[in-house]
Amino acid sequence: MGKKERVSVKICVGTACFVQGGADLLLYNEFLDPVVLGGCDIEGVSCLGGCKDPNAKDRPPYVQIGGVIHGDMTQEKLCKLLAEAVHA
Amino acid sequence: MNDIFIDVDYAQIYKHGQKIGGDVFLLSRNPENDQIVCTLSDGLGSGVKANVLASLTARMAHKLSFSPMDLTHSARIIMNTLPVCKERKISYATFTIADIRHEKGEEVRVNLVEYDNPSALVFRGVNSYLWQPERIDLEREGAFKQEVLGHSQLKLSIGSRLVIFSDGATQAGMGKSLPLGWRLEGVRSFAQAQIEANPDISSHDLAQAIVCRAHSLDRLSAKDDITCMVVYVRKPRRTLVVTGPPFTVEHDQDLVEKIRLFEGKKIVSGGTTAQIVSRLLAKPLKVDMSCWSPQVPPCSIMEGIDLVTEGMLTLSKVAIALEQKKPVRSLPNDAVRKFIQVMQESDQVHFIVGTKINEAHQDPNIPVEIGIRRTLIGRLRKALEDNYLKETSQEYI
Repeated sequence: MGKKERVSVKICVGTACFVQGGADLLLYNEFLDPVVLGGCDIEGVSCLGGCKDPNAKDRPPYVQIGGVIHGDMTQEKLCKLLAEAVHA
Repeated sequence: MNDIFIDVDYAQIYKHGQKIGGDVFLLSRNPENDQIVCTLSDGLGSGVKANVLASLTARMAHKLSFSPMDLTHSARIIMNTLPVCKERKISYATFTIADIRHEKGEEVRVNLVEYDNPSALVFRGVNSYLWQPERIDLEREGAFKQEVLGHSQLKLSIGSRLVIFSDGATQAGMGKSLPLGWRLEGVRSFAQAQIEANPDISSHDLAQAIVCRAHSLDRLSAKDDITCMVVYVRKPRRTLVVTGPPFTVEHDQDLVEKIRLFEGKKIVSGGTTAQIVSRLLAKPLKVDMSCWSPQVPPCSIMEGIDLVTEGMLTLSKVAIALEQKKPVRSLPNDAVRKFIQVMQESDQVHFIVGTKINEAHQDPNIPVEIGIRRTLIGRLRKALEDNYLKETSQEYI
């Protein structure tokens, strides 16, 4: 069995995301399961562009997980999505 | 903006056990004719009495040096006005006035008047410069001793320093570590060594170093007030702050060109702006997750730019901190702290303000404090000019 690829996670730290819940997501070291945390490469990104899309269905804060952008992110939602991505 | 900057600062330690100083330092800038006047006066005795004498002397000397009156006449007026000490039956306070004018070119002219203070030192780079002041005998009626003023006209070029101190410095350590005190030569060689070790040492640091050394020679129990003032003529330290994307995409390249050609520190404030700069300079942008606080998003790192921060939140917090003169050490380790540190280390700050409207900030859920960029920059400039005496300028793109 080959080595499992780590999940790339990008948290938007742009103004709109940061003030609408993004700041809470940056505390990922505190709320994420260490096993899940160990399987991810988490970094910040200055803007994912989601907030500027007039047709966007969801709202900030945005997080990109393995190339897919997810909006309306909360700590619980991030835990769930990352657990799924890491254990997939 | 000026191509020359005159950095003036002073440091002071009161006589051991005193809560008020008998050395008084005054500084005024007259921006209309680029004139700076600094006055140092040492009153007879110590504590409140000395402070009254020194304050009176310094204030009068200071005001009179702005008037066209002959300086010997001013000195007579000061000495005739001083109150008489009850114990010693004399009225006495020393003073040094430095009238500093920047006229044209890269030279600064200093009109120095000294009365009974240790003579001032001048350093051109690391070299000490010696000169002979013109002596003027006041021949005042009712004087209890001969009163001689020293008058000198000096020229300071870039890299020169003028160091003025009270006798608390030259007499430091007298009878303790040094039989005759630190003396003028001691202060001169110490200051020279400090400049040699750090040729760009700021006025604040040099004055602080001299005063601390004098204090340690006095075994941390100063026998007199120790005051030192330094004037340092140097090239201004410039900082460029770029915030907001240009109004049209065509100007992106102009903006990046301005950043590239700027000589000094560079700050980019704004996520979108940083992305534009990163793309056009072909330098990757990396968010530094170690440097943020719940109120301020993280900084980013980009080669060639000294500081990359988020835009409106960071700037509004910087404006508040500068307006309230919050000490840097009281701030959390975030972008605001780094921003303020760069501001404090600069003499001139130039703002390039992008005028593009950010669609993402038009959302009613965004806090009110994310106001209009232009207003925010106006507040920043006012705080920098009023509270920190920095020169600022601004352009829109």
